[in-house]
Amino acid sequence: MMMRIVQRWLLPSPLNNNEGALRAHILHYILLFLFLAPPLHIVFIYFQKPSNLNAALTLAVSSEIINIGLFLLARKGYIRVVSIFLVGVLWLYTALAAYLNLGQYDVIFALGNAIIIILAGILLGGKGSLVIALLSISAGSLLISTNGNFNFRDWIIASIFFLTIFGLQLLSSKTARRALDRTQASRDQYRSLLENLPVTAYISEIENSGALTYVSPQVADLFGYTQDEFLNDSHLWKKILHPDDRERILYQNNASDATQGAREREYKLIAKNNQVVWVNDQAALIKSGNGVPLYWLGVWTDITGLKRAALEQENSIVAATSRAVQLQTAAEVARISSSMLDPEELLTTAVTLIREHFNYYYVGIFLLDNDNSHIILQAGTGQAGEQMIKEKYQLEAVSSSMVGWSVVHQKARIALDVGADAVHFKNPLLPLTRSEIALPLISRGETLGAMTIQSEFSSAFSDADVIALQAMADQIANAIAAAQLLSERSDLIGELERRNAELERFAYTVSHDLKSPLVTIRGYIGFLQEDVNKNDIPRFTKDLSRIASAADTMQNLLNDLLELSRIGRVAHPFEDIPFNQIIHDTLELLAGSFDQTNINVVVQDNLPIIHGDRIRLLEVTQNLLSNAVKFMGDQPAPRIEIGCDERIKDGLATFFIRDNGVGIDPQYHEKIFGLFNRLAPEIEGTGVGLPLVRRIVEVHGGEVWLDSGLGRGSIFFFSLPTAISNNDRAID
Amino acid sequence: MIGEPVLVMLIEDNIDHAELVIRTLEEHRIANRVRHFADGQTALDYLFRRREFSDPETSRRPHLILLDLRLPRIDGVEVLQAIKNDDELKSIPVVILTTSEAEKDVIRAYMHHANSYLVKPVGFEEFKKLMDDLGFYWLGWNTHPLIKD
Repeated sequence: MMMRIVQRWLLPSPLNNNEGALRAHILHYILLFLFLAPPLHIVFIYFQKPSNLNAALTLAVSSEIINIGLFLLARKGYIRVVSIFLVGVLWLYTALAAYLNLGQYDVIFALGNAIIIILAGILLGGKGSLVIALLSISAGSLLISTNGNFNFRDWIIASIFFLTIFGLQLLSSKTARRALDRTQASRDQYRSLLENLPVTAYISEIENSGALTYVSPQVADLFGYTQDEFLNDSHLWKKILHPDDRERILYQNNASDATQGAREREYKLIAKNNQVVWVNDQAALIKSGNGVPLYWLGVWTDITGLKRAALEQENSIVAATSRAVQLQTAAEVARISSSMLDPEELLTTAVTLIREHFNYYYVGIFLLDNDNSHIILQAGTGQAGEQMIKEKYQLEAVSSSMVGWSVVHQKARIALDVGADAVHFKNPLLPLTRSEIALPLISRGETLGAMTIQSEFSSAFSDADVIALQAMADQIANAIAAAQLLSERSDLIGELERRNAELERFAYTVSHDLKSPLVTIRGYIGFLQEDVNKNDIPRFTKDLSRIASAADTMQNLLNDLLELSRIGRVAHPFEDIPFNQIIHDTLELLAGSFDQTNINVVVQDNLPIIHGDRIRLLEVTQNLLSNAVKFMGDQPAPRIEIGCDERIKDGLATFFIRDNGVGIDPQYHEKIFGLFNRLAPEIEGTGVGLPLVRRIVEVHGGEVWLDSGLGRGSIFFFSLPTAISNNDRAID
Repeated sequence: MIGEPVLVMLIEDNIDHAELVIRTLEEHRIANRVRHFADGQTALDYLFRRREFSDPETSRRPHLILLDLRLPRIDGVEVLQAIKNDDELKSIPVVILTTSEAEKDVIRAYMHHANSYLVKPVGFEEFKKLMDDLGFYWLGWNTHPLIKD
């Protein structure tokens, strides 16, 4: 610490290129030397004239005090004042010494004056030197005259000597000045070159944490801080380093201080107006002639424009690329939307397409169920999607989930950080989701469901993405609507075709089956006349009964046809009915036909409660049970079993009626459901029963089928919708 | 007419209709004998001499087959097909006698080489007239091919 202070005081101010600085430099050393002069003088007096020691001591102390004052003044920058004072005092001291020496105008005086003339030249310039020279000449004459014996010759010699010294001093100082000026001129040239380049040059110290000792004025254009601001705060450049780059740059600086290699890097600083400025910084370590590193000379080039352009280009490339991807995906979604008729395939393809093209984490599509209470996952990407589809993953159509919210509000919902969004229902199958967007699927104003898109990155959805994705969602929605319409249409066409075929069959039947009893009736009416003519009463009776029976057949046929045409046209309100109740009622209705048989009827207890048209369902069981009775054959232990399959599937319970009668050859299993198709003409019937059963069950949304073979009895199965309350009930 | 007795095979599920045909034919003494079968299966068993009809003596070849189209189990057209696909049986004239006037039935019958298609008329006189003409034509005017027994 002390050393540092002493050093600082003893070292001269930095040598600069101008004359003033040079003088200050020289003055500094002279003053340092002058500190030594009084002690040397005391030593000299001590040996030469010990009697004068006290006076010398006094002089020395006062000299030193004056010296200190001058030194301080010089450090303060009063170079000229100190110089004038110093030169003046030195000259007076010499003159006084000569005077005290009784005017001895000797060589010492002359040499002393000569030195002072030179000193004045150096410190004060030519004029100061001339003043001192003239003063010395006049003082010499004064001394010589005071001495009484004016030696004109000596005076002339001394004057010539002084003037010669002055002349030499002037010459040397002019030569030095010229040399200095030349240097200065070339330096100025360099500086002007440096300060007009479109870059900013700087000099920074190796030690002292890279303090800036020079910076060219262009720095003001670069950072907004002026050259002076940089020089006054030599560490300003470090303070304005961008936080992103600060650590790296300071580390690299330290490293290159050690390795002494050239520096070249790009980094950001923050200008006075808070704008980010990109610079390219190239610096070389400048060394002295003998290889001692002196300082770093560097150049800052403004590359902000370049960087911005590059960044913009990069952004525009990214934007263009993502736009291209969006367009391509949109086109593909449009293509599959218009080409795929199967909604399931369409949705699966769409989610896969969107996920792959945009590299999202997960994409899924939910559709509203029939009563709009839930949204059910229809398609999902990856294993998570597969798993959820298998589990029939569904959510309530309420705002408590992202997709639910978008369905309810018919708006897109974005969670850029799902952790922060309470609406997102955390899905353990999708643990990496960081942001999510839910888009409603709306077609012609009707909400069909929603699409969820999830990303592993937070804030993964830009406004442009949302617009593009919503456009795709709209297309998908339209395709779903179209597919639904198409499926409805093909269902309707199928229904229409079925009805048409039925109608054709009906017309055919009217022309055949209804005509058949007519042929009988009209034919036998003719025979009746003959019978009367022949008086054949037994045949008359027989023919009459044939007519009656044909008329009955006709009536039954008409009744059944009417019945069949009513189904679907006349609908009774659906109600919840325990199936046991229906069986009970049916058995009561058929009690007559059971009475004459020994059939053992077994009805399973606790059959499910079903939801349907009671009167029609009675017809189903009545037809099936009476068929079972009619086709029992000569079974010794006739048995009919009524029950229900254990499982309820899709809200339908499967019932069965099993008999151990004659059975039906599998080749007729489809034919028996055709209108007026009869397998056994010997057994009464119109061929309407089973078609009727099928119609009724189908109107209820169920199906009829059978398992039978000749000689092994028949099992007729039929499925019917269960009452809602049944869905929670286990059936055993 | 021909020395041997004429055999007419009637395949008809409606017993009343069968009786009607038999009575009107018999009344005019056209047919020597009418054999009635109530379903296609039994009729084919007879023609192909299967089961109880395996004896050629009792199961003689008919000179004419009257066939109804709507039959239980084996349909009339199937019976027709079976006859016309058999080298021996196909020369026997088969007359379709049905209540159906549907065009598709007529076409179907002729496509399978029916020899004639007659619609049962509604009305006693018309029925009688048809049976008269049928008897005269097929059993009277018509020349039968030689049928091997």
